[in-house]
Amino acid sequence: MSEKIHGLPKAKVEKSYFTWLLWLVPLAAICLCGWFIAEDFLFSGPTLTIYFSSAGGLQKDDSLVKYRGIQIGQVQSLDLAPDRQRVIVRTKLNRSARNVARQGSIFWIVSPQVKLGSISGLQTIVAGDYIAVRPGDGARTNVFIGAEQEPVKPIPALDIILLAEKLDSLQKQSPIFYHEVQVGEVLSCQLGNDPRHVIVHARIREEYAPLLRANSKFWNAGGINFHFGLFSGAQISAESAQTLVSGGIAFATPPDFQSAATNGTVFQLYEKEDDSWKDWNPYIPLPAVTAMTNQKDLPPLDSK
Amino acid sequence: MEKLVACETCGLVQEVEHVPKGSIVKCARCHFQIFHRRPNSRARTLAFSIAALLLYFPSNYYPIVTADYQGHIIHTTIFQGIQGLWTQKQYFIGSLVFCTSLLTPALKILGLIFLTLTLNSTGWEKTRTWVYKIIRLIDPWNMLEVVLLAMCVSMVELGELATIHPGRGVFSFAAVVVLTLLATLSFDSRLLWDSPAERKHYE
Repeated sequence: MSEKIHGLPKAKVEKSYFTWLLWLVPLAAICLCGWFIAEDFLFSGPTLTIYFSSAGGLQKDDSLVKYRGIQIGQVQSLDLAPDRQRVIVRTKLNRSARNVARQGSIFWIVSPQVKLGSISGLQTIVAGDYIAVRPGDGARTNVFIGAEQEPVKPIPALDIILLAEKLDSLQKQSPIFYHEVQVGEVLSCQLGNDPRHVIVHARIREEYAPLLRANSKFWNAGGINFHFGLFSGAQISAESAQTLVSGGIAFATPPDFQSAATNGTVFQLYEKEDDSWKDWNPYIPLPAVTAMTNQKDLPPLDSK
Repeated sequence: MEKLVACETCGLVQEVEHVPKGSIVKCARCHFQIFHRRPNSRARTLAFSIAALLLYFPSNYYPIVTADYQGHIIHTTIFQGIQGLWTQKQYFIGSLVFCTSLLTPALKILGLIFLTLTLNSTGWEKTRTWVYKIIRLIDPWNMLEVVLLAMCVSMVELGELATIHPGRGVFSFAAVVVLTLLATLSFDSRLLWDSPAERKHYE
């Protein structure tokens, strides 16, 4: 347009600021990406490598690591170890749970279990197996050997050994009774070096430990006792319904009781009760039981 | 150079004198902004495209949806969603999702960055025209994402079976969609055929 056109209005020219604000947009995008990366790599929890002999029902990107009922991590990958003897499970822990990964921590896989006398892990039927952990208190580490099953809780207790002629129906977790109250359980049963005896490892709960004395007598209370007397007729008795299926042990302490049994004391496990033991009923105070029923204080919360 | 500009809002043809750098011109009648070429078009397009390109990666890397089926937590990225559709023999929808959510945003972003960066170099005119043609061609197809999303939601109908949470990916993806939209809007196609001298004058 070379020639001048008259009579047209003139547009207004104004100063414009803030054009530089435009570059905040890519800057914001960079910040967002940086935040994602930081959260993934810097602020994320550790990746643990756990060796299991079998991965059970674990699934990649799906199975959880749980502690005290909450999710603290997730399984990222499942691989076979080069020697084909183990499975390598890589799990990503939440940052808040990073203190769980310490030397001495025990990881195991929880799957549904139906046994005589107990059913556990039912929630895993729907939600799938998960990895549970009992944290240790050693130094931080990221490599663990997984346990085959849930480790026995280290509750204060009295561990004893019983020698039996034969196992009868005893098995792991069979109850131990005193006056028909369960005071302990069987930990394991095995043949000893001397195969004439069965070695039964048993545990008496701490608060009932004073009941057990060096001269206490143990007998097998499992199954059904069937007596047939000429004058008394037939007598059928059982310690409890549970012992019918899972077996059980009972013990009695004589009135002239000796010193309290200590860890690792060996007792003979008799096949059945002697009639004289029935009348034994010594007075032994149980201070731990009273202490427990009066307990009002809650345990202190774990600090991070 | 042309001195006459028609206001895009009210249509008034008016005279524009020399515009100093860092100024905007406003219509004498309706006070809306008027211009020969969209002001700052190159810088804007570049800024929005770069931002979109940066967010394109998280939008595909992170899950768009996290579904909680009774304790099974399933993360799904866009690509896994396409794979899922493909394995369910939904080939048509699968390829449509692939085109509209993966292919076209990438093409558009890269095309716009290419255009803005090569605008001053000679010898690329033909390629630039082709790139712009492709961008124009795929532009309307981007709008299909919304329809597809509605379709997928009605197809899945999970109800009480699962809890669904949006993941990081969906927010990044939304940002990508908005940013590519802004980038295309701020690109003035007239820059493509302006001579370098004209371009310099208008900028």
